[in-house]
Amino acid sequence: MLDQAASRRLLTTDAASQRSAGSLRVGRINLEVRQSIPLWLQALILGGAALLGIAVSAALLVAAGVSPKDLFDEFVVETFTDSGNFHSILFQAAPLIFVGVGAAVVFRIRFWNLGIEGQMIWGGIGATFVVLHTIGPPALRLPLMMLFAVLAGMAWVALPAWLRMRLGVNEIITTLLLNYVALNFLLHLLYGPWIDPKDAFPHSQQFHSFERLPEIGWGLSSALPIALLCTALAAWLVLFSRFGFYTKFVQDNDRMALAVGVPIKAVTFVCVLLSGALSALAGFVIATAQEGRLTQSFFEGYGFSGILIAFLARNNPIAAMIVAVLVAVLFVSGRSLQVFYQIPFAMVQLIQAIIVISVAASEFLIRHRLHWVH
Amino acid sequence: MAAALKLAGVRKSFDGFPALDHADFEAEAGEVHALLGENGAGKSSLMNVAAGLYAPEAGRIFVDGEEVVLTGPRDAIARRIGMVHQEFKLVRPFTVAENVLLANWRGRFAHGLREMERQIRTQAEQLGFAVDPRSRIDELSIAERQRVEIIKVLLAGARILILDEPTAVLTDEEAVRLLTTVRTLAARGTAVILVTHKLGEVTAFADRVTVMRGGRAVAVLDARSTTADELTKLAVGTRVTPPRRASSPPGARRIAVEGLQVARADGHMTVVDATFHVRAGEIYGIAGVGGNGQTELVEALTGVRAPLAGSVELDGAGDTTGASAERLRDLGIASIPADRFGYGLAGGLSVIDNFCVGQVHTAFYGSWLWTDGASMRKAATRAVAEFDVQGVHNMRQKSALLSGGNAQKLIIAREFSRDPKVIIAHSPSRGLDVRACAAVHERLLNARAAGAAIVLISDDLDEVLSLSDRIGVMTRGRIAAEFIAPADRQAVGRVMVHHA
Ligand SMILES: Nc1ncnc2c1ncn2[C@@H]1O[C@H](COP(=O)(O)OP(=O)(O)OP(=O)(O)O)[C@@H](O)[C@H]1O
Ligand SMILES: [Mg+2]
Repeated sequence: MLDQAASRRLLTTDAASQRSAGSLRVGRINLEVRQSIPLWLQALILGGAALLGIAVSAALLVAAGVSPKDLFDEFVVETFTDSGNFHSILFQAAPLIFVGVGAAVVFRIRFWNLGIEGQMIWGGIGATFVVLHTIGPPALRLPLMMLFAVLAGMAWVALPAWLRMRLGVNEIITTLLLNYVALNFLLHLLYGPWIDPKDAFPHSQQFHSFERLPEIGWGLSSALPIALLCTALAAWLVLFSRFGFYTKFVQDNDRMALAVGVPIKAVTFVCVLLSGALSALAGFVIATAQEGRLTQSFFEGYGFSGILIAFLARNNPIAAMIVAVLVAVLFVSGRSLQVFYQIPFAMVQLIQAIIVISVAASEFLIRHRLHWVH
Repeated sequence: MAAALKLAGVRKSFDGFPALDHADFEAEAGEVHALLGENGAGKSSLMNVAAGLYAPEAGRIFVDGEEVVLTGPRDAIARRIGMVHQEFKLVRPFTVAENVLLANWRGRFAHGLREMERQIRTQAEQLGFAVDPRSRIDELSIAERQRVEIIKVLLAGARILILDEPTAVLTDEEAVRLLTTVRTLAARGTAVILVTHKLGEVTAFADRVTVMRGGRAVAVLDARSTTADELTKLAVGTRVTPPRRASSPPGARRIAVEGLQVARADGHMTVVDATFHVRAGEIYGIAGVGGNGQTELVEALTGVRAPLAGSVELDGAGDTTGASAERLRDLGIASIPADRFGYGLAGGLSVIDNFCVGQVHTAFYGSWLWTDGASMRKAATRAVAEFDVQGVHNMRQKSALLSGGNAQKLIIAREFSRDPKVIIAHSPSRGLDVRACAAVHERLLNARAAGAAIVLISDDLDEVLSLSDRIGVMTRGRIAAEFIAPADRQAVGRVMVHHA
């Protein structure tokens, strides 16, 4: 590791690009660290990069045999005109919003919660626990399920948070490995005490109708408004409140933050618990709005999606919500591509990867200014 | 004979803001050439151009009269130009020999390493440095690290040696040793360029001096026949009179430290027994060679590190031993840390954020529900003007891009904007130019006049002697002796060295 101060300056080192050979020197590209960047330019660069990624992906799909017109139909026309498609996108979006926002709030303070799936599992277990033990009257059943889900998710992430703050144990490892513990506990429950008594399959019994999230009209589940509400709360907390101001310092220089009196421990703990709670809510909405019971695989893939969404959204909760919807579009349209054009699902993953890479690369242009020197 | 190094009409800007504008510079073989100028005048930038690190937008570079184009540091090393940077560029977990080897690659690793260790020993002996090639950079003091940098550059065969503020981090004695070495190097034909803010060094050790201002060279003088006053006037544009401490009776006891013991993170106890008190309206100076427990003492007093034993009492708050930084700041303790970008500023955040974090918890910028960006910007803008923080083109610019002196002024602006009761200042003028230095001292004296109790910890004995009402000398983690101003420089110096 370089001295911190040294690396600070090193980052600002000019990279004189290779000159063209011989005396035919036209000039060279000079690299400078930007002192600041206006918001619009930042948005423009990020948007441009995303568009580039989309263009490359479209070219790949065309090369794989989907005609450009069909592409346009599947991704744009169908999304907005076909009500079935529209519904399944919004249906998909709610849990993605939860995991994306949950990852965004915690990545902001450089706590790498890779245990989103484990926390989702505990969210599902918490909710199902209320169902199986018939806690509370039917009218209160759903709120109680939600409460238990949230508490279970927070408890599951509290351990890695405590380990890191007290003993400096790397949270990447603990959160990731705790996923397997959670999964095995889930399997234990589903193959053992919680097995469905009706069909003896390894999933919980079907929830009653009052234990499922109600619809709010037009066939939309109430999961979406809850997700939007949570996004708004998270956005307020990290972007506008004093707490959010503190998170910037914890992220940038925690030694300095401590010295100027930022309550680092409280900030870290709240962000981590919030992330656990939001992940658990993702599990809760899948169990209560989509599946209507606890299954063995309801959480699969969401951990990765959450990280990806938070990354593309640069840890901004509002942006995370938008990106989550776009990822849902990709999933749903990808599914019809699979069915109608025999495009493998790997293609959908490839598209995700291309977009992530191009947005990640554009970070360079946000930090630096290129210009030509003669 | 042509100059060893000549820069002509160099221009370089950062993100559209010019740091160098038609800068000229010339140094000859066999001379020590000082480079002087305010913080942010462009000294480091100009030298970085000479060392091949920055590509200039315009201008020409000549080595021994031959025009060259430097495409990178390696090119400069090939031309035997070596630079010791203001912020060292050493890889910390590695040993001295490994670091030197990295800069001077010698084919096979194991063989090269042994060869390198031998060469480092010879070179160190020649220079009169005590450097063990096998010790890790981590374990070395700042002065030792600097020696490693110099050896690294010399072993690469440098004939043009650029030292960017080498003495800023050294004690008087170490500085004199280094500069004497530098003179011998010059006598052997090396062109030495010495960037410094210390006028005494210029007149005592340099042959010629170039003064920079606002990105260009404004004068080249014979260093022996010039005076500190003339140099200041050229560099700053005006005369600078160092502020004087007015005599005034101190008030009641503000902070009392009793038998404090503090250990470093690795468990080593560096503060063994610190006992002193400071009264309102008084500056208590702590003199001593760096590394005698000063850093840990500051950390304990500012709530960053919990002491092992002993007590700290604050007037009006009682026992505050081991209180958090948050609580201590609430009680009116302000801190100017020595490590500006480690403890003082969050480099990646804006000037506004760095200024406002000091008072955000007091509902100064809105309640906990809402931080008011507009009033933050307004307060920060006002403070930047009031405390004369220069180089701020945009309030949203990252604080890491401020020059050393301006970074320090920003920290002072934050800490002094809330009428502190107790100020802990650690090496507050390190690396600052004459004017900024005087400004910092004036702020400290004003705070004293306003009734604050100030603990001033510094390696710079002159600073301590000129500002303090009472002086404690810290050696090996103890306050070994106390003096009352005006103290005898010799006597203080003797305690510093003898007990060390
Ligand atoms: N890498 C960089 N990126 C952006 N701005 C820079 C960079 N390096 C220097 N500057 C700016 O260029 C100007 C000249 O800086 P430079 O470091 O050369 O000054 P200096 O004379 O060495 O000052 P000091 O005495 O504080 O070391 C300053 O305004 C500084 O903020
Ligand atoms: Mg400099």
